[in-house]
Amino acid sequence: MLPMFAEMGGLVHVGLAGLGSAIGVGLIGMKAAEATGRNPGAAGAIRNQAIIFAALAEGVVFFAIFLVK
Amino acid sequence: MIITWIVALGLIAFAQMATRNIQMVPSGLQNFAEWLVEGMYDFFTEILGKELVKKTFWFFCTLFIFILFTNWFGLVPGVGTVGWGTPDASGHLHHISQPVLRGGNADLNMTLAMSLTFFLLWTVWSLQALGAGGFLKHIFSGGDNGKGFMALLMMAIFFFVGVIEVISIAFRPVSLSFRLYGNIFAGENILESMMELIPWLGWLLPLPFYFLELLVGLVQALVYALLTSVFTALMCAHHDEGHGESHSHGEHKHAH
Repeated sequence: MLPMFAEMGGLVHVGLAGLGSAIGVGLIGMKAAEATGRNPGAAGAIRNQAIIFAALAEGVVFFAIFLVK
Repeated sequence: MIITWIVALGLIAFAQMATRNIQMVPSGLQNFAEWLVEGMYDFFTEILGKELVKKTFWFFCTLFIFILFTNWFGLVPGVGTVGWGTPDASGHLHHISQPVLRGGNADLNMTLAMSLTFFLLWTVWSLQALGAGGFLKHIFSGGDNGKGFMALLMMAIFFFVGVIEVISIAFRPVSLSFRLYGNIFAGENILESMMELIPWLGWLLPLPFYFLELLVGLVQALVYALLTSVFTALMCAHHDEGHGESHSHGEHKHAH
Protein backbone atom coordinates (compact mmCIF):
# COMPACT_ATOMS: atom_id res chain seq x y z
CA MET A 1 0.00 0.00 0.00
CA LEU A 2 2.75 2.35 1.07
CA PRO A 3 4.83 2.18 -2.15
CA MET A 4 1.70 3.03 -4.05
CA PHE A 5 1.41 6.29 -2.12
CA ALA A 6 5.08 6.92 -2.78
CA GLU A 7 4.47 6.63 -6.49
CA MET A 8 1.72 9.26 -6.52
CA GLY A 9 4.03 12.12 -7.46
CA GLY A 10 1.76 15.01 -6.58
CA LEU A 11 -0.61 14.88 -9.58
CA VAL A 12 -3.57 14.03 -7.40
CA HIS A 13 -5.16 17.38 -8.08
CA VAL A 14 -5.70 16.55 -11.76
CA GLY A 15 -7.53 13.37 -10.84
CA LEU A 16 -9.68 15.19 -8.30
CA ALA A 17 -10.44 17.94 -10.81
CA GLY A 18 -11.40 15.30 -13.35
CA LEU A 19 -13.61 13.65 -10.78
CA GLY A 20 -15.23 16.96 -9.85
CA SER A 21 -15.98 18.05 -13.39
CA ALA A 22 -17.27 14.58 -14.32
CA ILE A 23 -19.71 14.71 -11.43
CA GLY A 24 -20.68 18.23 -12.46
CA VAL A 25 -21.36 17.32 -16.06
CA GLY A 26 -23.26 14.22 -14.93
CA LEU A 27 -25.51 16.27 -12.67
CA ILE A 28 -26.13 18.76 -15.46
CA GLY A 29 -27.07 15.95 -17.83
CA MET A 30 -29.39 14.42 -15.28
CA LYS A 31 -31.20 17.63 -14.56
CA ALA A 32 -31.41 18.56 -18.23
CA ALA A 33 -33.00 15.21 -19.06
CA GLU A 34 -35.42 15.63 -16.18
CA ALA A 35 -36.32 19.16 -17.26
CA THR A 36 -36.86 18.10 -20.86
CA GLY A 37 -39.08 15.29 -19.60
CA ARG A 38 -41.10 17.70 -17.52
CA ASN A 39 -41.44 20.30 -20.28
CA PRO A 40 -40.67 18.87 -23.74
CA GLY A 41 -41.72 22.14 -25.35
CA ALA A 42 -38.63 23.92 -24.02
CA ALA A 43 -36.24 21.17 -25.13
CA GLY A 44 -34.16 23.51 -27.31
CA ALA A 45 -33.53 26.11 -24.64
CA ILE A 46 -32.75 23.43 -22.07
CA ARG A 47 -30.30 21.79 -24.45
CA ASN A 48 -28.50 25.06 -25.09
CA GLN A 49 -28.17 25.81 -21.41
CA ALA A 50 -27.08 22.26 -20.62
CA ILE A 51 -24.33 22.45 -23.25
CA ILE A 52 -23.03 25.76 -21.91
CA PHE A 53 -22.94 24.69 -18.28
CA ALA A 54 -21.40 21.35 -19.19
CA ALA A 55 -18.65 23.19 -21.06
CA LEU A 56 -18.14 25.49 -18.07
CA ALA A 57 -17.87 22.50 -15.76
CA GLU A 58 -15.42 20.84 -18.13
CA GLY A 59 -13.21 23.91 -18.22
CA VAL A 60 -12.15 23.24 -14.63
CA VAL A 61 -10.11 20.18 -15.57
CA PHE A 62 -7.91 22.16 -17.91
CA PHE A 63 -7.11 24.71 -15.22
CA ALA A 64 -5.97 21.87 -13.00
CA ILE A 65 -3.88 20.32 -15.75
CA PHE A 66 -2.19 23.40 -17.11
CA LEU A 67 -2.29 26.08 -14.45
CA VAL A 68 -1.15 24.26 -11.36
CA LYS A 69 2.36 22.91 -11.82
CA MET B 1 0.18 29.64 -38.19
CA ILE B 2 -0.12 28.34 -41.72
CA ILE B 3 -3.38 26.65 -40.79
CA THR B 4 -5.05 29.82 -39.64
CA TRP B 5 -4.17 31.43 -42.96
CA ILE B 6 -5.53 28.48 -44.89
CA VAL B 7 -8.81 28.54 -42.94
CA ALA B 8 -9.09 32.31 -43.27
CA LEU B 9 -8.44 32.17 -47.04
CA GLY B 10 -10.91 29.30 -47.33
CA LEU B 11 -13.60 31.33 -45.59
CA ILE B 12 -12.91 34.37 -47.76
CA ALA B 13 -13.11 32.25 -50.89
CA PHE B 14 -16.33 30.68 -49.62
CA ALA B 15 -17.84 34.11 -48.98
CA GLN B 16 -16.76 35.41 -52.39
CA MET B 17 -18.17 32.44 -54.24
CA ALA B 18 -21.42 32.60 -52.29
CA THR B 19 -21.99 36.26 -53.05
CA ARG B 20 -20.85 36.29 -56.70
CA ASN B 21 -24.24 36.77 -58.32
CA ILE B 22 -26.78 37.44 -55.67
CA GLN B 23 -30.33 36.67 -56.75
CA MET B 24 -33.47 37.30 -54.78
CA VAL B 25 -34.20 33.61 -54.70
CA PRO B 26 -30.94 32.16 -53.31
CA SER B 27 -29.71 28.83 -54.58
CA GLY B 28 -26.85 26.48 -53.82
CA LEU B 29 -23.90 28.06 -52.05
CA GLN B 30 -25.60 31.40 -51.52
CA ASN B 31 -28.53 29.64 -49.89
CA PHE B 32 -26.22 27.86 -47.47
CA ALA B 33 -24.31 31.05 -46.66
CA GLU B 34 -27.52 32.97 -46.06
CA TRP B 35 -28.93 30.24 -43.88
CA LEU B 36 -25.75 30.19 -41.81
CA VAL B 37 -25.53 33.95 -41.31
CA GLU B 38 -29.24 34.46 -40.69
CA GLY B 39 -29.30 31.55 -38.26
CA MET B 40 -26.41 33.10 -36.34
CA TYR B 41 -28.07 36.51 -36.46
CA ASP B 42 -31.30 35.28 -34.86
CA PHE B 43 -29.28 33.26 -32.39
CA PHE B 44 -27.34 36.30 -31.22
CA THR B 45 -30.34 38.63 -31.31
CA GLU B 46 -31.93 36.36 -28.73
CA ILE B 47 -28.96 36.96 -26.41
CA LEU B 48 -27.89 40.49 -27.17
CA GLY B 49 -31.11 42.24 -28.04
CA LYS B 50 -31.93 44.28 -31.13
CA GLU B 51 -29.50 47.22 -31.17
CA LEU B 52 -26.49 45.58 -29.54
CA VAL B 53 -26.52 42.74 -32.04
CA LYS B 54 -26.18 45.19 -34.91
CA LYS B 55 -23.03 46.60 -33.33
CA THR B 56 -21.35 43.38 -32.26
CA PHE B 57 -22.61 40.70 -34.66
CA TRP B 58 -19.67 40.93 -37.02
CA PHE B 59 -17.28 39.84 -34.29
CA PHE B 60 -19.24 36.98 -32.77
CA CYS B 61 -20.27 35.43 -36.06
CA THR B 62 -16.73 35.50 -37.45
CA LEU B 63 -15.44 34.11 -34.17
CA PHE B 64 -17.86 31.21 -34.28
CA ILE B 65 -17.29 30.34 -37.94
CA PHE B 66 -13.53 30.74 -37.71
CA ILE B 67 -13.12 28.62 -34.57
CA LEU B 68 -15.48 25.97 -35.94
CA PHE B 69 -13.59 25.56 -39.21
CA THR B 70 -10.18 25.77 -37.55
CA ASN B 71 -11.23 22.95 -35.21
CA TRP B 72 -12.59 20.83 -38.03
CA PHE B 73 -9.65 21.60 -40.28
CA GLY B 74 -7.35 20.32 -37.57
CA LEU B 75 -8.99 16.91 -37.92
CA VAL B 76 -8.07 16.49 -41.59
CA PRO B 77 -5.71 13.46 -41.73
CA GLY B 78 -2.69 15.31 -43.13
CA VAL B 79 -2.51 17.82 -40.26
CA GLY B 80 0.12 17.20 -37.61
CA THR B 81 1.34 13.95 -39.09
CA VAL B 82 3.38 15.26 -42.01
CA GLY B 83 6.62 17.00 -41.10
CA TRP B 84 10.16 16.70 -39.85
CA GLY B 85 11.33 14.67 -36.89
CA THR B 86 14.42 13.04 -35.47
CA PRO B 87 14.35 9.26 -36.03
CA ASP B 88 15.52 7.17 -33.07
CA ALA B 89 18.54 4.84 -33.03
CA SER B 90 16.94 2.11 -35.12
CA GLY B 91 15.93 4.61 -37.78
CA HIS B 92 12.22 4.51 -36.95
CA LEU B 93 10.57 7.90 -36.87
CA HIS B 94 8.12 7.89 -33.98
CA HIS B 95 7.58 11.49 -33.16
CA ILE B 96 7.17 14.33 -35.64
CA SER B 97 8.72 17.30 -33.84
CA GLN B 98 7.96 19.91 -36.50
CA PRO B 99 4.75 19.07 -38.36
CA VAL B 100 4.10 21.22 -41.42
CA LEU B 101 0.49 21.80 -40.43
CA ARG B 102 -0.68 21.92 -36.81
CA GLY B 103 -4.15 22.16 -35.34
CA GLY B 104 -5.01 25.87 -35.08
CA ASN B 105 -6.66 25.85 -31.70
CA ALA B 106 -4.39 23.21 -30.26
CA ASP B 107 -2.02 26.05 -29.47
CA LEU B 108 -2.52 28.33 -26.46
CA ASN B 109 -1.13 31.38 -28.24
CA MET B 110 -3.95 31.21 -30.75
CA THR B 111 -6.77 30.92 -28.23
CA LEU B 112 -5.23 33.47 -25.87
CA ALA B 113 -4.90 35.93 -28.77
CA MET B 114 -8.58 35.53 -29.56
CA SER B 115 -9.60 35.90 -25.92
CA LEU B 116 -7.53 39.04 -25.44
CA THR B 117 -8.98 40.57 -28.61
CA PHE B 118 -12.41 39.84 -27.23
CA PHE B 119 -11.46 41.38 -23.87
CA LEU B 120 -10.29 44.54 -25.62
CA LEU B 121 -13.50 44.78 -27.65
CA TRP B 122 -15.58 44.01 -24.57
CA THR B 123 -14.00 46.93 -22.72
CA VAL B 124 -14.55 49.26 -25.69
CA TRP B 125 -18.18 48.22 -26.11
CA SER B 126 -19.06 48.48 -22.44
CA LEU B 127 -17.38 51.88 -22.15
CA GLN B 128 -19.34 53.01 -25.20
CA ALA B 129 -22.61 51.70 -23.82
CA LEU B 130 -22.12 52.81 -20.20
CA GLY B 131 -19.56 55.59 -20.22
CA ALA B 132 -16.62 55.49 -17.78
CA GLY B 133 -18.71 56.47 -14.73
CA GLY B 134 -21.49 54.06 -15.63
CA PHE B 135 -18.94 51.30 -16.17
CA LEU B 136 -17.67 51.55 -12.60
CA LYS B 137 -21.15 52.13 -11.22
CA HIS B 138 -22.34 48.98 -12.94
CA ILE B 139 -19.53 46.91 -11.47
CA PHE B 140 -19.50 48.28 -7.94
CA SER B 141 -23.03 49.30 -7.07
CA GLY B 142 -25.57 46.56 -7.22
CA GLY B 143 -28.75 48.51 -6.59
CA ASP B 144 -30.66 50.94 -4.40
CA ASN B 145 -28.67 51.49 -1.25
CA GLY B 146 -31.31 52.63 1.22
CA LYS B 147 -30.84 55.44 3.76
CA GLY B 148 -28.32 56.41 6.48
CA PHE B 149 -26.40 53.62 8.21
CA MET B 150 -27.83 51.01 5.88
CA ALA B 151 -26.35 52.94 2.95
CA LEU B 152 -22.90 52.75 4.54
CA LEU B 153 -23.18 49.03 5.21
CA MET B 154 -24.49 48.33 1.73
CA MET B 155 -21.72 50.44 0.24
CA ALA B 156 -19.10 48.32 1.99
CA ILE B 157 -20.75 45.10 0.88
CA PHE B 158 -21.05 46.23 -2.70
CA PHE B 159 -17.43 47.34 -2.69
CA PHE B 160 -16.35 43.78 -1.95
CA VAL B 161 -18.83 42.44 -4.49
CA GLY B 162 -17.22 44.81 -6.98
CA VAL B 163 -13.72 43.51 -6.21
CA ILE B 164 -14.89 39.95 -6.77
CA GLU B 165 -16.58 41.09 -9.97
CA VAL B 166 -13.33 42.63 -11.21
CA ILE B 167 -11.45 39.42 -10.46
CA SER B 168 -14.05 37.33 -12.30
CA ILE B 169 -13.97 39.68 -15.28
CA ALA B 170 -10.19 39.54 -15.40
CA PHE B 171 -10.30 35.73 -15.24
CA ARG B 172 -12.60 35.41 -18.25
CA PRO B 173 -9.98 35.58 -21.02
CA VAL B 174 -7.90 33.01 -19.15
CA SER B 175 -10.82 30.61 -18.77
CA LEU B 176 -12.02 31.11 -22.34
CA SER B 177 -8.61 30.43 -23.84
CA PHE B 178 -7.81 27.49 -21.58
CA ARG B 179 -11.17 25.83 -22.21
CA LEU B 180 -10.85 25.93 -25.99
CA TYR B 181 -7.15 25.05 -26.00
CA GLY B 182 -7.59 22.26 -23.46
CA ASN B 183 -10.48 20.59 -25.22
CA ILE B 184 -8.90 20.63 -28.67
CA PHE B 185 -5.42 19.68 -27.46
CA ALA B 186 -6.81 16.86 -25.32
CA GLY B 187 -8.80 15.66 -28.31
CA GLU B 188 -5.70 15.43 -30.44
CA ASN B 189 -3.88 13.56 -27.70
CA ILE B 190 -6.75 11.09 -27.43
CA LEU B 191 -6.60 10.40 -31.14
CA GLU B 192 -2.82 9.82 -31.00
CA SER B 193 -2.90 7.61 -27.93
CA MET B 194 -5.82 5.60 -29.28
CA MET B 195 -3.77 4.91 -32.39
CA GLU B 196 -0.95 3.42 -30.34
CA LEU B 197 -3.16 1.66 -27.78
CA ILE B 198 -3.89 -1.45 -29.88
CA PRO B 199 -1.52 -1.29 -32.86
CA TRP B 200 -3.01 -4.21 -34.80
CA LEU B 201 -6.44 -2.54 -34.78
CA GLY B 202 -4.84 0.45 -36.54
CA TRP B 203 -7.29 3.18 -37.55
CA LEU B 204 -10.40 1.36 -36.26
CA LEU B 205 -9.96 2.42 -32.62
CA PRO B 206 -9.58 6.20 -33.12
CA LEU B 207 -12.61 6.26 -35.46
CA PRO B 208 -15.30 6.92 -32.77
CA PHE B 209 -13.03 9.56 -31.25
CA TYR B 210 -12.92 11.32 -34.58
CA PHE B 211 -16.67 11.83 -34.42
CA LEU B 212 -16.33 12.84 -30.78
CA GLU B 213 -13.80 15.45 -31.88
CA LEU B 214 -16.16 16.73 -34.59
CA LEU B 215 -18.82 17.23 -31.92
CA VAL B 216 -16.38 18.76 -29.43
CA GLY B 217 -15.15 21.17 -32.13
CA LEU B 218 -18.70 22.34 -32.77
CA VAL B 219 -19.65 22.56 -29.10
CA GLN B 220 -16.49 24.45 -28.13
CA ALA B 221 -16.98 26.95 -30.97
CA LEU B 222 -20.61 27.41 -29.91
CA VAL B 223 -19.67 27.79 -26.24
CA TYR B 224 -16.89 30.26 -27.00
CA ALA B 225 -19.12 32.50 -29.11
CA LEU B 226 -22.01 32.17 -26.67
CA LEU B 227 -19.97 33.01 -23.58
CA THR B 228 -18.37 36.01 -25.23
CA SER B 229 -21.79 37.32 -26.32
CA VAL B 230 -23.30 36.68 -22.90
CA PHE B 231 -20.45 38.55 -21.23
CA THR B 232 -21.05 41.48 -23.56
CA ALA B 233 -24.79 41.31 -22.98
CA LEU B 234 -24.23 41.40 -19.22
CA MET B 235 -22.37 44.67 -19.51
CA CYS B 236 -24.06 46.47 -22.36
CA ALA B 237 -27.47 45.06 -23.16
CA HIS B 238 -29.89 46.23 -20.49
CA HIS B 239 -28.40 49.69 -20.25
CA ASP B 240 -29.36 50.77 -23.69
CA GLU B 241 -32.90 51.84 -22.80
CA GLY B 242 -32.00 54.05 -19.82
CA HIS B 243 -29.46 56.28 -21.55
CA GLY B 244 -27.68 57.60 -18.48
CA GLU B 245 -30.66 59.48 -16.91
CA SER B 246 -30.82 58.70 -13.15
CA HIS B 247 -33.32 56.00 -12.22
CA SER B 248 -35.80 58.07 -10.24
CA HIS B 249 -38.27 55.27 -9.56
CA GLY B 250 -37.43 53.08 -6.56
CA GLU B 251 -36.87 49.56 -7.78
CA HIS B 252 -33.95 49.06 -10.13
CA LYS B 253 -34.79 46.16 -12.45
CA HIS B 254 -31.87 44.11 -13.81
CA ALA B 255 -32.79 42.29 -17.01
CA HIS B 256 -30.52 39.26 -16.67
